[in-house]
Amino acid sequence: MNQSPVVELENLKVKLGRREILHGITCRLGVSGTGKAIGLLGPNGAGKSTLILTLLGFLRASSGRARILGLDCAHSMGDARSRIGYMPENDSFIGDMTAVAFVRQMAELSGLPPEAALEKAHQVLFHVGLGEARYRELRTYSLGMKQMAKLAQAIVHGPELVVLDEPTNGLDPAARRRMLKLIAEMKNEQGMNVLVCSHLLRDIEQVCDEAVIMKDGNIVHHCNLEEERRSNRSFVELEVTGDDGHLRAALPEIGAEGVPEGFGRWRIVLPPGVEVDAIWRLAGQQNLLVRKLTHRRDTLEEIFLKAMGHIARTPGESAANVGL
Amino acid sequence: MSVYKRGYQRYSGPLTGRWTRFLVLPRYAWRRLYQQRLVLLLTMLAFVWPLLCTGFIYLTNHVELLQGLDKEFLQFIQVDGRFFSIFMYVQAGFAVFLAALAGPSLIAPDLANNALPLYFSRPLTRWTYALARLTVLAGMLSIVTWVPGLILFGLQVGLAGGSWFRAHWTLGAGMVAGFAIWLLVLSLVAMASSAYVRWKVVAAAVSLAFFFILAGIAEMIDEVLRVTWGHIIDPAWTVNRIWCTLLNVEAPRGPGAGASAVALLVMVVLLVVVIERKLRPVEIVS
Repeated sequence: MNQSPVVELENLKVKLGRREILHGITCRLGVSGTGKAIGLLGPNGAGKSTLILTLLGFLRASSGRARILGLDCAHSMGDARSRIGYMPENDSFIGDMTAVAFVRQMAELSGLPPEAALEKAHQVLFHVGLGEARYRELRTYSLGMKQMAKLAQAIVHGPELVVLDEPTNGLDPAARRRMLKLIAEMKNEQGMNVLVCSHLLRDIEQVCDEAVIMKDGNIVHHCNLEEERRSNRSFVELEVTGDDGHLRAALPEIGAEGVPEGFGRWRIVLPPGVEVDAIWRLAGQQNLLVRKLTHRRDTLEEIFLKAMGHIARTPGESAANVGL
Repeated sequence: MSVYKRGYQRYSGPLTGRWTRFLVLPRYAWRRLYQQRLVLLLTMLAFVWPLLCTGFIYLTNHVELLQGLDKEFLQFIQVDGRFFSIFMYVQAGFAVFLAALAGPSLIAPDLANNALPLYFSRPLTRWTYALARLTVLAGMLSIVTWVPGLILFGLQVGLAGGSWFRAHWTLGAGMVAGFAIWLLVLSLVAMASSAYVRWKVVAAAVSLAFFFILAGIAEMIDEVLRVTWGHIIDPAWTVNRIWCTLLNVEAPRGPGAGASAVALLVMVVLLVVVIERKLRPVEIVS
């Protein structure tokens, strides 16, 4: 199996008119064929959609290079597009077609023979929950149904990479949950790589294994979410009753660091590999009564806010600094 | 097993040839076009004149049925370049209205519904998309233009014999070439108007107006400046001028076939540029 990066950018610059939107981005995201999801995060105007459109070959790079599934976006897009499914952000459909005809046509354009395309169209429409409505014209669909139809046409030909631009836009909570479940299934059960572009942090956090945060046409943070979650120092807020005078000296015994905040309140940072149980045991040894223990990690929102420059440090980092 | 019980599985079977995939679009487009009653009605009406011409060819080749008629009249009703040029004028008129009726529903809905990113995210380039849309119109108009024309030509050859064919084979070739030029111009005009005007009715009106307005402007230039070259901007006139040369019939006063061909070529290039500018997956606002 080809193990090239899903997306590979080398000093990529893209101009729209005279304005430079992407300012020399360099990164390698994902590994093809691994069934992982990459999240593309950033505020409006960060350049997420421009990057996606460049990866799809819709926009030309003014300099640098972009590769998708190991294929150059400027010269080998024909080959790359056979292996990609794209779900655009805005309404994109053919209004006077039924969903099954629309999805079948898209499958045939991707190279499926007519009979196979028809079978897959039915299959994928049932999969996304439009089975009962598949003979209705697309213009009669609700916003949520149109989103699902867009997803259906993106995956009908079984692509290696599915590019989803704001997939949960305009969906009610139930439909949003369903969309995220489908995305998770695409990568976990079908082994598809997924590139999700969104400004909804919770969606990215829920389904992605890797995230790229963009700001003003640059990548300001690139993280492996799983590793990030693991490597983040765990931040514990502790409130105890009793004599906690020896706690500060005892914490390094379990590899942790902490600072008292008065009235029995502590902020403690646990290093990787040390679980919160160790705090319970330590409190027991010190004859302290634990009144409150909150154990939390840095969320993607906090990582995002830091990347955007809205906060100087994530709570975990703050605690670590205080501790030091 | 029922489809809904099977669940979704990625497709891993054989794929169709990349260079023939663009034909998927015409196939779906024809199906949708012929579901429109007006298109169907106009297509059927367009067969009336070829049927009458069939009767005419039959009569001219059965002199026993024409006994007693005036000799001058018998001379007049020959199957020659003039006959085929009249046939072509009528069918060309039907083609204009069919193109105006069918053309706007090709690109305008794709633009209105923002469907181009879906097409272009697949192995389909802008050029193959344009070729596919051109094929839709050219194929549809062929049914009412050169296909019946060629059938008439074949009928005449069958009835009149090989000697007639040897003397007049250029008529058949000229007719097919003449119609091909007309279909190209019609299709490009219909596509360009469809690409720029998103409302189908308005796009149809623009498509028709293109020919009438340019013909009007050409007449004005000729009348005001007392010249004959004004016709060069009238696509219908220039195509007719080329037909006259191809069918070896008397040509109207004005620019020659060469000048008309050059003018048409310029027009075709302009129309292609106009379409090319509009067929983009994303609109870039500078």
